[in-house]
Amino acid sequence: MDTTDLTTAPAGSRTIATTTKTVLREAGIGIALIALIIVFSFTPHFLSSSNVTNILTQVTINLVLSIGMTFVILIGGIDLSVGSVLSFCAVVAGTVMTLPGLDPVMAVFLATISAILAGIGFGLLNGLISAYWAIPSFIVTLGTLNIARGAALQVTNASTIYSFPAAFNAFGSKTFYGIPLLFLIALVLVAIGWFVLAKTVFGRVLYGIGNNEEAARLAGHNVFFYKVAAFTICGVLVGIGAIIYMARLNIASPIIGIGFELNAIAAVIIGGTSLSGGRGSIVGTLLGACIIGVLANGLILLGLSDFMRQMITGFVIILAVILDKYRERLTKA
Amino acid sequence: MKFAHLIAASILVGTLAMPAASFAADKPVVGLVMKSLANEFFKNMLEGAKAHEAKRGDYTLKAVGMQSETDVETQINAIESFITQKVDAIVVAPSDSRALVPPIKRAVDAGITVVNFDVALDDKAKEEAGLKLAFVGPDNREGAKMAGDALAKKLGAGAKVVIIEGNPGADNAAQRKLGFMDSVAAGKLDLLDSRTAHWETEEANTVFSNMLTAHPDIQGVMAANDSMVLGVVKAIEAAGKTGKIEVVGFDNIPAVQPLLKEKKLLATVDQFGQQMAANAIDKALGVVAGGKPLEGWVKTEIKLVTSDDVK
Repeated sequence: MDTTDLTTAPAGSRTIATTTKTVLREAGIGIALIALIIVFSFTPHFLSSSNVTNILTQVTINLVLSIGMTFVILIGGIDLSVGSVLSFCAVVAGTVMTLPGLDPVMAVFLATISAILAGIGFGLLNGLISAYWAIPSFIVTLGTLNIARGAALQVTNASTIYSFPAAFNAFGSKTFYGIPLLFLIALVLVAIGWFVLAKTVFGRVLYGIGNNEEAARLAGHNVFFYKVAAFTICGVLVGIGAIIYMARLNIASPIIGIGFELNAIAAVIIGGTSLSGGRGSIVGTLLGACIIGVLANGLILLGLSDFMRQMITGFVIILAVILDKYRERLTKA
Repeated sequence: MKFAHLIAASILVGTLAMPAASFAADKPVVGLVMKSLANEFFKNMLEGAKAHEAKRGDYTLKAVGMQSETDVETQINAIESFITQKVDAIVVAPSDSRALVPPIKRAVDAGITVVNFDVALDDKAKEEAGLKLAFVGPDNREGAKMAGDALAKKLGAGAKVVIIEGNPGADNAAQRKLGFMDSVAAGKLDLLDSRTAHWETEEANTVFSNMLTAHPDIQGVMAANDSMVLGVVKAIEAAGKTGKIEVVGFDNIPAVQPLLKEKKLLATVDQFGQQMAANAIDKALGVVAGGKPLEGWVKTEIKLVTSDDVK
């Protein structure tokens, strides 16, 4: 373990060597993304401004979920419930937003708050159960995946909620110099996530727990608190992701978000975060999410069949992890 | 004669049901095997069946749904438990048109009246198992052609269109695609691309946005269900092409009613899902009461729905 020193290291005192490693790691993913863009730029329309807008729109939800997933994976956990919880948050928010007699601004405000609270609720549940009883989060979140999906179906009686305020719907497709507003929101969240993980003691302790939980405990950190916090942060982002989904598609339904957790995990892993925890970054996750989005978009523009597209996406995930192994060796030397 | 029997039965039940619950055992028991109740379409269908049970009052309904669309085992277990319970009839919407054949054969061999509705069992699998069974359900291909023809009529020959497909491998998805292809051929449309969005709103939004980038001159979209229509319409709005691209869908779900009204959706197809299970139960009870066994394909009603149908 080359980074156990981080457990106790205060913010800002990271060695130059570690910083260089992080930069190298992210540069590698960045190069992969650029290479992908160069390949696709030979297909017509790929670099058109409207296509760039599309890609950014399509990346947004996965990016927001991936930020939360990064926190959880960094401490050596995993959250399989995000897709279902997103659906639950969306139907709760959708129910609030369509309550009769609310003025549109108030409706959207209350809906956003309730989505985030619902996300926090499930995040707390995931964190508390896995930390208190020391149950692998894989199992706990597999359970909450079903609880959240069932709850979403129960709340709505399996029906789709629609007809949100017109301004909210319009907001979902607003762009600012070709950049979707929703993506800008995601970028702000990326910046916050980056700051918390890279520049605060809190963030460094999360890395420390992922590297060596016992060492973190011996260093006097309240590991229980940090674990619950990581899952709760993930829950907040799922709640925000639910609102973004509703703004983009103007519906909320108990069957949305199926498989979103896998896309988020893929973005985090492609972004160079280690599944065993302790290593990775939000910037990597941003690049990972972009790689997935660019790939999905570019392969359709190329005219590849759906089945080929699925296979290639699978190959890229594996390739990314293999490349990461080599990068690890290089940066260690 | 069948009708007289029904009237007799309902009079009997009407007079006896209230004081004596024990007589309920004399009513025929119908086991209903549904697909995923997480799907609004099947949930409504089940509610339609329950309302039907209360209205007819001359049979007892036992319904089983699945956790997800692909949960074949739950259906097989349900049929087997219905056989054990010696129900009078089983009405089944198979989640898999082959895997369900053996348990259904066992039910038929046990003397239970079985009605296959919604999705047809595979002909070859039925033949191999030596099972003869009618199918009660809508013609998805015909329905899709109705929607496709409406699009072709609106746009005219040579119009550039794309298809958004349902789950690859699902029978209704395949039938609907065939129906759309029939319209493409009959209306001489120019089909630019055809891709799956797995019945999903978000995926349809993504896939269609990307299709529109690759083919900015798309004039029409045929989506295999209305959930995907929701995503397609949002993509058209985001691209600022509202009114320039016509969309048709399938299922006539509540969420597309505003879109029909605003003419963002040209047409969709109603296959009266709510009544589908109830109709199949009527057919099963008819046979249980001594009516003629069903044969071949008993087609159920489908209807093209346009903005004219929305108040």
